[in-house]
Amino acid sequence: MIRFDIPDDETLLLRDTAERFVADHYGLAQRNVMLEQPPEQVPPHWGEMAELGWLAAAVPEAAGGLGLSAAQLVPMLEVLGRGLVLEPVGPVAMKCAATLARALPDAGAELEPILSGERIALVAEGAPGAPVSAVKTGGALVLSGVAPLVMAGPWAQVFWVVAELDGAPVLMRIPAEAADVTPVRLVDGQVAARVCFDGVRCAQEDVVTGCAEALAYGRDMALVGVLAEMSGLVDALHGATLDYVKLREQFGRAIGRFQVVQHRMSEMFIRREEVHSMARLAAEAMEGDDAAFRGKLVSAARVKIAKDARVVMRDAVQLHGGIGVTDELAVGHMLKRLLVLSQVEGGRASHLKRFRALIGL
Amino acid sequence: MTDLLNSPEDMAFRKEIRDFVAAELDPDTRAKVVRGAPLVRDDFMMWHRSLYQKGWAAPGWPKEHGGPGWSARQRLIADEELFRLHTPPLPGFGFKMIGPILMRFGSTAQQQRFLPRILSGEDWWCQGFSETGAGSDLAALRTRAERTKGGWLISGSKTWTTYAQYANWIFCLVRTDPDVKKQEGISMMLVDMSAPGLTRRGIRLMDGTEEVNEIFLDQVFVPDDMVVGEINMGWTYAKALLEHERLGIGGIGRSKHLLERAREMARAAGCEAEPEIADALAEFEIDIMAIEATTLRLMAAAEAGVRIGAETSLLKIRGTETQQGLTELMLDIAGPSALPARDSGATEEPFENVAFQFMNWRKLSIYGGSNEIQRSILASQVLGL
Ligand SMILES: Cc1cc2nc3c(=O)[nH]c(=O)nc-3n(C[C@H](O)[C@H](O)[C@H](O)COP(=O)(O)OP(=O)(O)OC[C@H]3O[C@@H](n4cnc5c(N)ncnc54)[C@H](O)[C@@H]3O)c2cc1C
Repeated sequence: MIRFDIPDDETLLLRDTAERFVADHYGLAQRNVMLEQPPEQVPPHWGEMAELGWLAAAVPEAAGGLGLSAAQLVPMLEVLGRGLVLEPVGPVAMKCAATLARALPDAGAELEPILSGERIALVAEGAPGAPVSAVKTGGALVLSGVAPLVMAGPWAQVFWVVAELDGAPVLMRIPAEAADVTPVRLVDGQVAARVCFDGVRCAQEDVVTGCAEALAYGRDMALVGVLAEMSGLVDALHGATLDYVKLREQFGRAIGRFQVVQHRMSEMFIRREEVHSMARLAAEAMEGDDAAFRGKLVSAARVKIAKDARVVMRDAVQLHGGIGVTDELAVGHMLKRLLVLSQVEGGRASHLKRFRALIGL
Repeated sequence: MTDLLNSPEDMAFRKEIRDFVAAELDPDTRAKVVRGAPLVRDDFMMWHRSLYQKGWAAPGWPKEHGGPGWSARQRLIADEELFRLHTPPLPGFGFKMIGPILMRFGSTAQQQRFLPRILSGEDWWCQGFSETGAGSDLAALRTRAERTKGGWLISGSKTWTTYAQYANWIFCLVRTDPDVKKQEGISMMLVDMSAPGLTRRGIRLMDGTEEVNEIFLDQVFVPDDMVVGEINMGWTYAKALLEHERLGIGGIGRSKHLLERAREMARAAGCEAEPEIADALAEFEIDIMAIEATTLRLMAAAEAGVRIGAETSLLKIRGTETQQGLTELMLDIAGPSALPARDSGATEEPFENVAFQFMNWRKLSIYGGSNEIQRSILASQVLGL
């Protein structure tokens, strides 16, 4: 059942803490300094994020987490998104931890160092149609294949590799030093890695089978994280543009007084509201056991938000005029982040396909 | 790709251009243009020299000033072929802006001094119109010139000046009379970029390049013979400048270039047969056809003596929308392959510059009169609203 409750105290506390964190640590100038760091260097605030409980928030209490719902995390993730935060809260908390909590019979021990911020663990996957694969050789398993883009990849101590073994997906625990990790700086300054697993060996006890359901859940949860960040960014671009058109004067008045600009802003507002709703809808869909229902709503949210974000990117820059294409305002940085978030975890087209399949078309 | 200009003469002319480009274009430059990478001074200059030697540097110029004497039709074909063959699109500040203005309004001395140097590439011009407070409302500009012995002293600043880092001359709009209606107190002056008091600061863009600059002018002396035409007539000249070569602003060549590139990406990504992508590619071809058909129709009218005015704004609006739309389609095709930064060492052809192009081409709907302003022009000047 989908409910749109008023945010409870825990939700608001998480959000407010995130707001303070971003205000303290993520001024544009401070962030620019962080972007100059070599890609191997973990951004400085990871420990603090773990202490604030952000990594453990969505993990069930039984597995050592705080047991909050995805919906309770959305406002916090929106703040991190609009704050252009560089630490991999999404990939670790929403993707890896969420997957492991479901896939591992006794997840607590594995998750403990991850949730405390001591160890960064990431899910690594091949490109669509080119999965990493594993074959049995003697007592061990040998992997082959590449994960072309693992967000935050250079900072991982452990990869949980999604591999195909005997035609079924398994998770394999691979220490990062065993793989060939090449850092990749992305257009928005975030760090990812191309990780090659060719010839990497994995002991039988580090293989988790029967995890298809957990993987699907983890992917949806990761997407909810991405969509929440996008929602925060769309909201921020809308806010920045609204402020700008009220302030910027041409022809003797604020450009926001021109009807064309007013209509464009109204349109952006409509999109912001839709994005806001769909991000929450996707998060609500994570509750309950109906995987098809969940998948349908999460994919629907992906499609809608990707489409709306495109238009918002376009119009936010356009209404800023020349200053909008520079590196000097947050607008350009937010556009780049949105661009990245639009292209990862399956884009609009692939989720439209999934949605159609799930509604039987 | 469908070409509408395909009579036997058109085809012969296309071949002439193709042969020339095949013989002259540097393969490295070509590769950069194919990949959609940012171009630098040398890329432009080398190609400029080839065109100059051939007598093709300034397609729009009359023969007496060194133009090739092409018809409007031939100019469209040349634009299309040069884009298609991946030659660097030369910035138009000299050829399409100040050159034609000097031909119409400049003194004989200015024409003799500057036109040959624009043609040969010895001078690189940049355009000093926009200011922080004067963008769409260009007439609000505040950089002022005050009378001094033998000339003028300019103080103020200009911004968004494209390629000022390469330029040795800048043509500026400046306020020479603050006490009249704002359009009536503006003059156009030619300023030596090395003049004392002129400084430049590069502006970093979100795509990582520094294509544009700020120019600061502090009591920069401009002698009387560097004023274009008459004092306080600058607005008229600026309007004439923006109206020059209007039939070419649909950017048909650029659109076809981007469409071809998008097709190549779809093939590389193995999605060219997916209905959504295949339909989008076909529809873009049709959109471009409509821009081309409209351009040809306006051109025929102009040749028959009909005065074509602000209608051409429609070409700019649809042309830029098409080009920006194509960069978005490229993002859809590329997926995560669009994400590595250009200098990350992890980019893969043909997707290397997809994000860069998406960001860089946002400017098309902002500069040269934003698309909102173009629509207002259509409404007021064509529709009488
Ligand atoms: C990459 C780039 C290169 C450039 N190169 C040059 C150059 O070489 N030389 C030069 O002189 N200039 C150059 N420009 C400047 C360009 O011409 C201006 O950016 C343009 O005129 C818009 O002005 P602005 O940026 O101040 O935006 P603004 O005028 O502030 O406009 C902001 C937004 O408001 C809208 N708007 C404004 N007025 C109205 C209205 N009346 N009705 C409806 N909407 C309105 C605009 O369409 C826009 O969306 C360049 C700009 C860019 C981005």
